[in-house]
Amino acid sequence: MNAKRLEISRLFHRFAFGPRPGEFAAALTAGVSATRKNILTVPAVDAGAGRVTLPEITDLGPRPKPNTAEVVPFALGMRNQTEKLTIWWLDQMALSDHGLTEKMAWFWHGHWATSITKVDHPLAMYKQNQIFRQYALGNFAQMSRAMINDAALQYWLDGQTNTVKAPNENLGRELMELFTLGVNRYTEDDVKAVARVLTGYQVNVSAATVVVNPKRRDTSAVTILGQTSTYTAEGVSDYLVGKSDCAQFIAERLWYRFISSTENMPANFAPVKTFSAREIAPLVTAIASDSAMSNTRYAMVKSPVEWFISVCRALELTPSELSTSKQLINHLNKLGQIPFYPPNVGGWPAAEAWLSSASAQYRIAFATWLIKQSSLRALNEIPIDRRVLASADWLGVGEWSARTQTALRNSLSDPQEFALLALCSPEYVVSA
Amino acid sequence: MDTVTRRKFLQLTAGAVAVGAAAPLLSIDEIAAAAVNRPLAAGTPIVVMVTLYGGNDGLNTVIPFTDPLYYSSRPEISYKAENMLPLDAELALNPAMKGLKSLWDQKKVAIIRGVGYPNPDRSHFSSMAKWQTASPEKHINTGWLGRWIDTQAEDSMLAISLGSVLPPLFAGAKRSGSVLPLGGLVIPKGSVATNCMQLAKVSRADNSLMAAAATSMRNLFSVSSTVQPILKAPAPVAVDLPVVNGGNAGGDSNLAQQLDVVAKLIAAGSPTKVWSVSLGGFDTHANEANAQAVLLGAVSDSISRFISQMKSTSRSADVTVVVYSEFGRRVAGNGSQGTDHGTSGPMFIVGDKVNGGFYGDQPSLKNLVNGDLAVTTDFRDVYATILESLLKSPVEPVLGKWSGRTKFLKV
Repeated sequence: MNAKRLEISRLFHRFAFGPRPGEFAAALTAGVSATRKNILTVPAVDAGAGRVTLPEITDLGPRPKPNTAEVVPFALGMRNQTEKLTIWWLDQMALSDHGLTEKMAWFWHGHWATSITKVDHPLAMYKQNQIFRQYALGNFAQMSRAMINDAALQYWLDGQTNTVKAPNENLGRELMELFTLGVNRYTEDDVKAVARVLTGYQVNVSAATVVVNPKRRDTSAVTILGQTSTYTAEGVSDYLVGKSDCAQFIAERLWYRFISSTENMPANFAPVKTFSAREIAPLVTAIASDSAMSNTRYAMVKSPVEWFISVCRALELTPSELSTSKQLINHLNKLGQIPFYPPNVGGWPAAEAWLSSASAQYRIAFATWLIKQSSLRALNEIPIDRRVLASADWLGVGEWSARTQTALRNSLSDPQEFALLALCSPEYVVSA
Repeated sequence: MDTVTRRKFLQLTAGAVAVGAAAPLLSIDEIAAAAVNRPLAAGTPIVVMVTLYGGNDGLNTVIPFTDPLYYSSRPEISYKAENMLPLDAELALNPAMKGLKSLWDQKKVAIIRGVGYPNPDRSHFSSMAKWQTASPEKHINTGWLGRWIDTQAEDSMLAISLGSVLPPLFAGAKRSGSVLPLGGLVIPKGSVATNCMQLAKVSRADNSLMAAAATSMRNLFSVSSTVQPILKAPAPVAVDLPVVNGGNAGGDSNLAQQLDVVAKLIAAGSPTKVWSVSLGGFDTHANEANAQAVLLGAVSDSISRFISQMKSTSRSADVTVVVYSEFGRRVAGNGSQGTDHGTSGPMFIVGDKVNGGFYGDQPSLKNLVNGDLAVTTDFRDVYATILESLLKSPVEPVLGKWSGRTKFLKV
């Protein structure tokens, strides 16, 4: 495949949520480095995202007792706000002029994977999402401090039950294993020690606030990764983030989501060193500029949300305007991915996990449903004699295989079927 | 954990399955084809796991009906002794479980009492994960039957779970069990179908992930016409049950529908040694009595129907059904005619191979542990027996060095 098309296609689909009509062709004219710069530069104003109305998410108070009159309005409010919150985020992804910010917020959601199934309160999930946006391309040490004090994360990992009398290791373990260092880069004694430092948090999950109760806190000195000290919660966060393993680990996670979920990050991967000050933007820039970006070994499967948002952008659809929101969420549910519902603290699966024959079936049904709600303006504007090949530019696909070209040619007389085949083709489901 | 939560648990925990071990998704036709071409050898033991999601209230399932503490601890939700189905002088079955009572009388039911694990966890998600992974101390991503699957020769038909998402129970490190959606797969028709099949063709330009995407599409269409008759055929007749409108009664619940599919495929000779089916809704924090009775009735009716269906096949002596839930519920009622999350509960093992009766000690209502029933049998004792005596497989690769056994099978 043409190296330029490959790299530009990867920039659009991995470092953003896919091109809008016309953007891929324009990028080909501009060239790889101009496109990379464009995608990596945060604009002063994001007019697209500005069109998205903020959802009204409020403190609904603690859950009333079962079988009381208050339960029904509470449950309805909860369901209603959760749906609004989910659709709001999908709108952000689909309409934003700066895909990378949205992509990074999505990445951090999978990194600090917290599920509303346990947290239950949409306000807490919304506030956590604000942290992902604030630090999307900011400083990781600051993000980690903010996350330690995030009500949703604390509640999700049982921080409120972690006390000096009865330590709960859940958050302490995951802080090292999944958030800052990576598995096997610490001992079980380190887990116990970090858990002790993190004792004392009390969470008001409906209001999404935390307080540290000094009576429940263990203030004794502990030894973590060989260093004995009386740490604070923020202090232990800084200490872990400062370890060289943290740079390695965050680079590995970015590699896994942006370059390859099937091939390991090479030893001595050069971009790691750009994370020395724990600034996220330089690391992401270095990865987007690395030679791995043009290496054909590193294909990625689009996750269901990534696939759906890139379809919305190509078909000029706004998630909140799709009829109905419940059907939309049901389609995403069948494909196995709804924002705010990661499967577990380890985050979303990747690669072949998204490629079962059931998902092929559900993807066809989802695409059919979306296509019916689009005018297919951009596709219809391509002259029919050029449509097969030029549709690759419309969707930002590197190149169609001969196999897929045949299928597309067979359906030239039916734009809806043409779009369906293009969107469900291996070349679109996978970022080459 | 209601039905929605059960679905979510499955979906969510499915993420824990290692990438390399992505669950193959079978079409019913593929299984039927395998059943025709390479049927399970006659006499091979078959295990059917029945998972009750939500935490079944064990104390209102197998009821200590002569213990005054039972009535005084939960006055709002205790059953009247005259309605219960006595099993011996001390214990009785829930009034809704007539089908299982009849199997009990035929000595085909083992009830293992007080089953659980050390340091019970009251979270649905965590506790179900512990039961399914058989690893109460440490969170791991493989299920105990998944690890057994790892020890067996590769065969996508070896272990099949009904439903669209793989339960962690069947997730192995190298391989996983397969999933079979109850409704089967809906396959596109007409020119879309023709062109989808074109898209599914192998292309030399494909990288391995694109090839996998094309394969997933191709599998959707791999329907073999030779096996359609098996699928269209009615489920095996339940010989002990009255026939109503050409079919047996009691086949309406979702569990019965799952077991119908299992029965059909076992009858056809599917080379499957382990099946997994499930029923949700046992999280009865409120208004428990009715809800639980309906569910236990469904469990009891579907299992007795299934056992009866097996009698019209050649596999009747081979099949063993195992029923469990992630925890029991607290002894005391909670003030809203329900119960909160508790600890141990009974397991049921049903089949011709079973030596009917009680196993494990009945947890005392007097000597509670923090207000909960004690755990008197570790679930690993039961799993080890299933592995060793039913699946004829070594225990250690699955459960490590575990010496406990529960001798609920005929010698």
